[in-house]
Amino acid sequence: MRGYSTVLLDRADLGQGTTGRFHGLLHSGGRYVVSDPLSATECAQENAILSRIQASAIETTGGYFVTGPDDDPAFADKFLEGAAKTGVPAREISVAEALRNEPRLNPRILRAIEVEDGSVDGWQLVWGAANSAKAYGAQILTYHKVTRIDTADGHVTAVHATDLKAGEDVVIDCTFVLNCAGPWAGQIAGMAGAHPVDVVPGRGIMIAMNHRLVNRVINRCIYPADGDILVPVHTVSIIGTTDVKVDDPDDLKIEHSEVQEMLDAGEVIIPGFRKARALHAWAGARPLIKDKRVSSSDTRHMSRGMAVIDHTERDGLDGMLTIGGGKLTTYRLMAEHIVDAMCDKLGEKRACRTADEALPGSESGKNYVVTHRLEDREHDRLDDQIICECELMSRKMFTDALANQPKGTFDDLRRQLRLGMGPCQGGFCSTRATGIALDSDHIDIERATGLLRLFLKNRWIGLWPILYGEQVRQTALDNWIFQGTLDVEHLPAPESEVAL
Amino acid sequence: MSTAANTPASRVIVIGTGLAGLVAANRLASGGADVTLLTKGIGGLQLGQGTIDVLGYAPDRVTNPLLSLMALASARAEHPYATIGAAPVHTGLDYLKRLLPDLLVGDPEANYQLPTAVGAIRPTCLAQPSMVAGHLSDGAKVAIVGLRRLKDFYPRLVAENLSRTTLPDGGRVSARPFSVDVPARDGEVDSTGLTYARAFDDPGFRSRFVAAVKPLLEPDEIVGLPAVLGIKDTSAWRDLAEKLGHPVFEIPLPPPSVPGMRLNEALTEKARAAGVRIVNGSRAISARVEDGVVRGITMATAGAPHEYTADEFVLATGGFESGALTLDSYGNVTETLFGLPLAGLDDGPLLHGDYWGSEQPLFKVGVRVGPDMRVVDAAGAVVHPNLYAAGGIIGGSSRWGEKSGDGIALGSAIQAADSILALTPSAPGPVGGSTPEEIS
Repeated sequence: MRGYSTVLLDRADLGQGTTGRFHGLLHSGGRYVVSDPLSATECAQENAILSRIQASAIETTGGYFVTGPDDDPAFADKFLEGAAKTGVPAREISVAEALRNEPRLNPRILRAIEVEDGSVDGWQLVWGAANSAKAYGAQILTYHKVTRIDTADGHVTAVHATDLKAGEDVVIDCTFVLNCAGPWAGQIAGMAGAHPVDVVPGRGIMIAMNHRLVNRVINRCIYPADGDILVPVHTVSIIGTTDVKVDDPDDLKIEHSEVQEMLDAGEVIIPGFRKARALHAWAGARPLIKDKRVSSSDTRHMSRGMAVIDHTERDGLDGMLTIGGGKLTTYRLMAEHIVDAMCDKLGEKRACRTADEALPGSESGKNYVVTHRLEDREHDRLDDQIICECELMSRKMFTDALANQPKGTFDDLRRQLRLGMGPCQGGFCSTRATGIALDSDHIDIERATGLLRLFLKNRWIGLWPILYGEQVRQTALDNWIFQGTLDVEHLPAPESEVAL
Repeated sequence: MSTAANTPASRVIVIGTGLAGLVAANRLASGGADVTLLTKGIGGLQLGQGTIDVLGYAPDRVTNPLLSLMALASARAEHPYATIGAAPVHTGLDYLKRLLPDLLVGDPEANYQLPTAVGAIRPTCLAQPSMVAGHLSDGAKVAIVGLRRLKDFYPRLVAENLSRTTLPDGGRVSARPFSVDVPARDGEVDSTGLTYARAFDDPGFRSRFVAAVKPLLEPDEIVGLPAVLGIKDTSAWRDLAEKLGHPVFEIPLPPPSVPGMRLNEALTEKARAAGVRIVNGSRAISARVEDGVVRGITMATAGAPHEYTADEFVLATGGFESGALTLDSYGNVTETLFGLPLAGLDDGPLLHGDYWGSEQPLFKVGVRVGPDMRVVDAAGAVVHPNLYAAGGIIGGSSRWGEKSGDGIALGSAIQAADSILALTPSAPGPVGGSTPEEIS
């Protein structure tokens, strides 16, 4: 948008590493009014901006901060005071009103504060931004893993990457690199010869519960802790999250103890939570940067939540900036900050317009609602098949997405379509997707069969850590279908498993 | 009947109406027992492939199921077949073939190897006559024909996987796919298998289908079709084959399974005809046990719970898929009706993360039975003297992987029924005489 010629590289699908691995909360800022006032204000401002420019990715659910039966009721006073100071809209309502609007809330809650939390589809969000960039001439290269960064005379000159799907190497000559690799930012900075950037990935797990147990975001009105947020996202509700320091962002486990912790936390908000059906769990890594080398002159581009690292002073390296910290709600602001910093380095004045312009698909300014697909299917159900009943995905939605990403795995398509993300976790739609993909002529039988195997394997990664109750029953039915009826495990063995 | 004490041991309650429950009920009723079948709804047959498996993989592909069953029974003491043995399974296969001659054919000592809806070749013991032309031999030419408006069958997926597969007996087939667009109902693009099955019951629809397909067939082709060739008319497939002038075979689809429904309806009809009283539509919620003896089962009937009593009880409630077994969020596994002792809980974690790896131990959990199919505890002691188990509730096997679920259900149901019938060798023959005592 500022007129630069831009290439975006991602080692996997957009949002696959970090952005999509969250609980779907578009912060009102409420969570930070006491602990981190600057972040609170940023969140409040960005919430309003994103709800406008990326309306189609955001459901304006609203949210409550509730004081649990054993929580300190006085925190709500601090909360209201902080909200007033930081410009976060908040209003205390009666417990009776909260319970009337959210009947499954714990009736023993002590106080309730209404805020402007929203629910956001992380993949729609990033692809919306990517499609906008494309419209301005950017190239988006997914599954391109950076392997080397060339420098000459202390300046970045080129980036080498491997196109993982095609197995080819590409070299991109450039004058500037923006390192936005999140938990992997340290690895990228290292490739350019910078001093180590100390990234401390903070692992958090999330659990998607079947159905919308609530229709508003429910937060515990306490100092931010584990398992204190429940977010209604599309057809599910997501509880999160934990925070455990890990060494390797590529090795994120879903620990049994953390699952139990989340379920206990859910019981505080929604009595009977453990009896509700858990669908899927995942883990993400917060890209926290603890960098002692950040000099005081960098603070212009720093807030409590995010930091732009200038490698010129730090490492004697021109043409590269690294950003760390931040959160999904402030992702646009992070981009604004790092591009502003780049313009400064280049000595140019080009104003940021991202806050003003609606992204492709959001021009109407109409936020999505949970029933949007139901409405769509009402219009086309006589002309098109529903391939995924759980998520009301039509055949055309699938074939369109596949045409856009002919090399996509079913997980790549899932992130845009919610294929296999409903209660049956792929039990019925996986084989349909395989058959349709093969019919599309984009792939051959070997890959089609391999994609089915990969999809089932990947679904299981998020299923088995939370497998209990009704989802066990579903899994047994799915096993009867795949192994019992279809004998998928005895299809011709692949020479090597499809991985991408 | 006024009291249970005056009644010969012929009043039997069977709980569950999958293959095990239906076979047990039929067998008991035809043997002279007074049978009540309690069920929440339609049983598991409609969810399966509509054939009768005995053993498909052990772990290599099985060609002689009865022989492999015996080998497995002597090698693996914890497997249900080790307790059931081959004889009741053999008896059951003969019994089913006699009971449903139009629907089941096959040889207990030779598996069919039949294509699935993803193009794998799946072993099974008894199959429906409409399927057996799918047992292919080297050099066969196959046309896999899809219906554009049926979303659970992709002929290219089937044909291309078949074509790249070496047949179990060696050799290859050449399979080619095509689809036709013959609506089951006007204006509907998303028709279920059942909708198509009802359409295929209609000779007029069959003629329209033949008109679309016949010109596209090549000489000597065997025609593979989705298993939707009629639901009431079990000879619809034969009429279709005659009109096409080609052998046809049905390929089972994911649920709802039309071949499964055929078996379910036929066995249910036979049970009714034999005098089985079927109580359908409520869940069995509790069991009354006095002095160790099961006295009654309470159903969550509309209005108020309702207890059904009997002398002998057959637990044919299935496994996790039917809710007969549950795993709670704390990791506890429970048999939901009686709280019976379970096998398979003491061997480490119940789940692991490798989808394509070994079977999840959780799904081998179930009750133990003795040779007469009475439920026993870890020490081998009978839990309740009048409680028998049949089918998926019995632990110790990976049914969907082995393709052994039907054989276990069948063998255990036959054995349980015959054990009960043996208690009263002079049981009265007439059906519809006594009914179970009801307590509201």
